[in-house]
Amino acid sequence: MKDIENRLKQEAKRLLESGEAEVVLAYGRGYDEKHPMPYAAKAVSDVDNIVFDEYCTFNMTRYLTEYPLGTKIAIAVKSCDSRTLIVLMQEEKVKREDIVILGIPYRDMIDSKTGKAIDNSTACNLPNPVLYDILLGDEVTERDDGSPYDVLKELEEMELDVRWEFWSKEFSKCIRCYACRKACPMCYCDPCFIDQSQPRWADKSPSLESNLMFHLTRFYHLAGRCIDCGECSRACPVDIPLHLFHKKVSKECEEMFDQVSGMSLDDKQVMVDFKMEDSDEILL
Amino acid sequence: MLKKIGLEKLNEFVSALIEKGTLFAPVKGDAGVDFQEIKNAGDVTLDFYNTLQSPKCVFFPQTDDMVRYRLKKETTDIEEISLDFEPRIAFGIRPCDVKSFEIMDKLFTRGGIVDPYWESRRKNTTIMGYAFDAVDPADFYGAFGIHAADTTGSDVFMVKGEKNLLLKAITEKGEKLLSSVDTLEDALEEDRKYFEERLKKGAELETRTLSLEGVAGKLRDMFGSPYWEKVAAPCLNCGVCTFVCPTCHCFDIQDETLFGEGTRRKIWDSCMFTDFTLEASGHNPRTQKSQRLRQRVNHKFSYYVTNFEVTSCVGCGRCTRSCPVNIDILTVVEEAVESV
Ligand code: SF4
Ligand code: SF4
Ligand code: SF4
Ligand code: SF4
Ligand code: SF4
Repeated sequence: MKDIENRLKQEAKRLLESGEAEVVLAYGRGYDEKHPMPYAAKAVSDVDNIVFDEYCTFNMTRYLTEYPLGTKIAIAVKSCDSRTLIVLMQEEKVKREDIVILGIPYRDMIDSKTGKAIDNSTACNLPNPVLYDILLGDEVTERDDGSPYDVLKELEEMELDVRWEFWSKEFSKCIRCYACRKACPMCYCDPCFIDQSQPRWADKSPSLESNLMFHLTRFYHLAGRCIDCGECSRACPVDIPLHLFHKKVSKECEEMFDQVSGMSLDDKQVMVDFKMEDSDEILL
Repeated sequence: MLKKIGLEKLNEFVSALIEKGTLFAPVKGDAGVDFQEIKNAGDVTLDFYNTLQSPKCVFFPQTDDMVRYRLKKETTDIEEISLDFEPRIAFGIRPCDVKSFEIMDKLFTRGGIVDPYWESRRKNTTIMGYAFDAVDPADFYGAFGIHAADTTGSDVFMVKGEKNLLLKAITEKGEKLLSSVDTLEDALEEDRKYFEERLKKGAELETRTLSLEGVAGKLRDMFGSPYWEKVAAPCLNCGVCTFVCPTCHCFDIQDETLFGEGTRRKIWDSCMFTDFTLEASGHNPRTQKSQRLRQRVNHKFSYYVTNFEVTSCVGCGRCTRSCPVNIDILTVVEEAVESV
């Protein structure tokens, strides 16, 4: 892990020095060891502040859309994060040639809030980045973790009314802080539909109805785009397992359209693509 | 007056409190413990460090209904919602949070305009403070002269021992409450000793700290500093830090209508949201996240001090603990002051 940190610093320094990157999006120190922070190094002198450890869970691609198109950016990405890059490139939010991708071969990061390892029940947890220019270490070997959708089994086996009860209880907890949306790299709309006042799409006060309006709309907006980084769930202060819903939608997308989001730059996203052989199930 | 009750009899005591008024107490949920209105005595827990969200909901709930209305063709029927609240009891409030009520009073009742929603609940609430027995690394209430077993502001102050919960009446209101509950026993000499010891130990527990001297002025002077952009870079502009904060008090007023019937309500708002400052013309004077983070920090550590002579923060550490990207307000203020 220290090796990855050192490589990250080396590359950051080189890229900033040569002008290949105007900014390096990585991780920095927080108020204690277990709480690092997202960090943007803009000068060579910033490089010393970069860290990498198992608590650096942040999906840094979330910050990309804050920079004007054309900014030369180097970015540290773990496996799911690299899949986000692919989606953002498909959506032309960033251009491949503007980004230097520093791939981090590392899995089983630790969620500082729970102290537990992040596995494929809460994120994609692939061993290696899918797309990178420079890999900051040796590739992590494959391991049989089962499918990232195994965690859905329990939900899928529930009777409809029990499942409805489960989600009603979860969504009733929502305090509408919007951390889930704000942490999500795919939620870059400005303004977001939920912030609009003319018309107001849902009441501002939290209630099961208005919370559902927010979440269901957001889930649809993420269909075929979400890459299962789990940031939304980790950001949620009241621990709503949003990733389960996203995983379910992703699974359906995969089954219907035979495509996993954010795996190849050559793919066209399922919701903006039409093929004669597409499943009709979505219409029923 | 010092009373006690065996921990195994907590339920009985809580049931007795429910008889005395609307009870708000800590309840264990999925993500942590939070204050809730108690219907079942068994829901209450005393085993927590501090609640996820602050107890401000006792006086200032996230949604507070003001007027109900029915829109008719020519006229509108309206019904004001009564502010005759039953007596309330806020149970298990940590010393730093007790202090937050006093800070909020200044805004809601002494700023020249009285907010009846806050005031009417506040004045008929009995506060039962509850001593900390440990320190979380995010806390810094020591910076505000508050300590882990500070009785200031509580009507009753509680200390949990191994077998008993000890309760001391601090004010007349507290005395009245304790003497009216017959499930309580009188404390013995050894209990008294233990209680005093815990207060002493509480005063010795150390949190992180910060010197507040000159902070308000320095923050005001560095309004245009590039520091804000740097420090706000990781911020997501979500509402977590302000929603969980005991001293954040911003709210919006919305008419929420369905099929001609609706309610005008106060709803928490947050200076971290993009639309917080959006004007009717479409102009938004605060479009940058650095401006929003600066607002949060400066409002608490500078503007509030100018207006009310007190910092609008009690160092409860909630914003730091809940921030998805680990922004720590103490560090932000410290580094700001160092940067000038
Ligand atoms: S919805 Fe959640 S899991 Fe999916 S991309 Fe957004 S933050 Fe990641
Ligand atoms: S982060 Fe959690 S509480 Fe906040 S809006 Fe999202 S689901 Fe609701
Ligand atoms: S400081 Fe943290 S909790 Fe507050 S708005 Fe920024 S990211 Fe959200
Ligand atoms: S600003 Fe943070 S530490 Fe201060 S009172 Fe609010 S939540 Fe607590
Ligand atoms: S910090 Fe922001 S949300 Fe909190 S009281 Fe001040 S302006 Fe309102």
